Amino acid sequence: MSMTIALAGNPNSGKTTLFNALTGSNQHVGNWPGVTVERKEGQTRYGNQVYRVVDLPGTYSLGAFSEDEVVAREFIVSGNPDVVINVVDATNIERNLYLTTQLLEMGTKVVVALNMVDEAESREIHVDEKALAQRLGVPVIRTVASRRKGIDELMEAAIAVARVPLNGHVQLSYGESIDKRIEVLKGFLQGGDFRYPSSWLALKLLEGDSYAKKFVFENSNLRDLEEFSRFWDEVAVHEEEFQLEIVDSRYKFVGDITKDVVRRPGVAVETTTDKVDRVLTHKYWGMPIFAAIMFAIFQLTFAVGQDLLGEWMAVAIDYVGGALEGFLVGVNAPAWLIDFIGNGIVAGVGAVVEFVPLIVILYLLMGLLEDSGYMARAAYVMDNTMRAVGLQGKTFISMIVGFGCNVPGVMATRTLENKKDRMIAILINPFMSCGAKIPIYLVFIAAFFPSYGGLVLFSVYALGVAVAFLMGKIFSKTLFKGETSHFIMELPPYRKPTLSNVVRNMWDNVSGFLARAGTIILAVVSLLWVLAVLPLGVEPYGSASILGRIGQFIAPIFEPAGFGTWQAAVGLFSGIAAKEAVVATLGMVYAGVEAGTELVAAIREVFTPLTAVSFMVMTLLYTPCAATLGTIKKETGSAKWTLFSAFYSFGIAWVLSVLVFQVGRVLGFS
Amino acid sequence: MLKELLMEIDNADFVSKAVLASRLNRPVSLVEQGFEELVRMGYLAEDAGQNCYDLPCGKCPYASMFQKEPLKTWSITPKGQNLLESWRMAG
Repeated sequence: MSMTIALAGNPNSGKTTLFNALTGSNQHVGNWPGVTVERKEGQTRYGNQVYRVVDLPGTYSLGAFSEDEVVAREFIVSGNPDVVINVVDATNIERNLYLTTQLLEMGTKVVVALNMVDEAESREIHVDEKALAQRLGVPVIRTVASRRKGIDELMEAAIAVARVPLNGHVQLSYGESIDKRIEVLKGFLQGGDFRYPSSWLALKLLEGDSYAKKFVFENSNLRDLEEFSRFWDEVAVHEEEFQLEIVDSRYKFVGDITKDVVRRPGVAVETTTDKVDRVLTHKYWGMPIFAAIMFAIFQLTFAVGQDLLGEWMAVAIDYVGGALEGFLVGVNAPAWLIDFIGNGIVAGVGAVVEFVPLIVILYLLMGLLEDSGYMARAAYVMDNTMRAVGLQGKTFISMIVGFGCNVPGVMATRTLENKKDRMIAILINPFMSCGAKIPIYLVFIAAFFPSYGGLVLFSVYALGVAVAFLMGKIFSKTLFKGETSHFIMELPPYRKPTLSNVVRNMWDNVSGFLARAGTIILAVVSLLWVLAVLPLGVEPYGSASILGRIGQFIAPIFEPAGFGTWQAAVGLFSGIAAKEAVVATLGMVYAGVEAGTELVAAIREVFTPLTAVSFMVMTLLYTPCAATLGTIKKETGSAKWTLFSAFYSFGIAWVLSVLVFQVGRVLGFS
Repeated sequence: MLKELLMEIDNADFVSKAVLASRLNRPVSLVEQGFEELVRMGYLAEDAGQNCYDLPCGKCPYASMFQKEPLKTWSITPKGQNLLESWRMAG
């Protein structure tokens, strides 16, 4: 075999395609010694000669930061390939040439395979390979490895380069300060017996390359030399600065070349994303725009989900309930079973499931918004508003997540390194109205505010956010003083929502909602039903049942808020298990109300518009569900803070709902 | 380029690689590589974000209702802040 050709290049540059084109089936795969990096080697015949081809791991650079990089550069520097073919992706030339500069630094023989030129040209990217060759000081051959184009020319060039002594190619300058120190270090290193070129080693030492430092000091006594020690101590002081200068010099080198040799279609200075973002992330208008978008979503939800889709779900549930009951009567099922199914399960779970059409529309619209990339902007404007009230940190991320569910909302606070920020984020997260509370609001909206559904729902969410901001501000000034962290968000480009994606996500979420209703809510309702019919002999669902007695015990707390009935009390109590259970419980305990079994009608009988508002304020803000409390305990590791969260949120909810009711009454509302 | 990139990040309200590329008159891919270099050199820290962590939240209808994709954030490390400060002082 006459010579060894190494293939080096970025991942996805077409290096492996070229390797396969050269070697065909004459290749074998193993591992590089001592590491888990795959080694591919093969043979290619060109003319009458057989050449060994080694496919080096794909890397973006030749530092010492990964096994791939170390393996690639070790082979180039000390494996003595006769020539290195550097495969460069013509569609991404700037990024690829960074590796090329490092190959030139190594003083190795290089031929550049400018690959994927067909794809580059289809994107109107034109590279003047002759000019590029002149600037780099090495041959540049156009190839399309996937179609075996340019392979012969490439082999010709590689063989020609391998056969002639290295005549030096373009040297990079890293600035006067570094260039001078490279020369001084070369002087020190040239006396030693290192297997690497002294100029490369000198550069690596100045760059702070840990591998190079370890190698030089373990294989020499340079550290014992006073002159070197003085020099090296001075270098150490500027190490970070030198490292940055060296890396920057490479980018400058690449940038200067590509500016002259690459032609691209004119790129708009301002993209569509930028133009839209200037409005949607505006310092003053961003938050009102976000509020307006959410209001529009809620309005549409009611317009389509309620007005257009109508009450077919309630009719369907009534039908199914009636059919089930009829079936059970027909087969002489025991009375308790008929009652359990009819007034327990159907009334309880059905009260939640009745709002599926609205949930479907809401998920669809939220999915569209998320898919478009807007929600990242929403998080950004919320962050801006939080900073304006003195809150910082990544709190907003957990708040946005908390709008769906407070459990991942609390867990999302892990991203906050600052303990103070984290605790505040955990304590205010439950004020984000989670998805499970939506059925509660929908019941009361349907009962009292059917024409103002969007406005009421928006107001509830806005109140939760306002209370969260206020409490966050108070906590940051009192319990959790200290420095806050600084960061910035990355806003991804906008994208066109794909209908299939949105519909699929909506379907997943709705089926998940129904599954949750059929499992957790069913379990809670079943337990509550047992409590509502026991002890035997008392009126089922009455105040004398176990459930009724629990409700009567806690009901007085809610008198000042206007809903001091035992039914409302047990409804709220059950919400600690799962928030949808509030609706399920109300549906069950009001199932036998004279005005009819429909929950909404029952709510109209026992609540007023004012007490409906105060009840919604209570459900928005009071004690989080058990899963959230469990998560708070796990994340804080503190029973004290968990209990604090449970009680202080209840306290705030109570104060506000009492305020709403009492002030409303004074103002003449009912 | 890295110096200019770090300074742009420091002055930015949010990170948009396309905007940064436009300001620096460089392709987006090079700006992305610049970010990687700054992270590698310890001047920038990346938090790719994660939702739901070790919970089986995937099937829950509420977990991903408002933010399915994690939000990525960047912060300039103390090392990066010191570097910026030294540049400011050097003028």
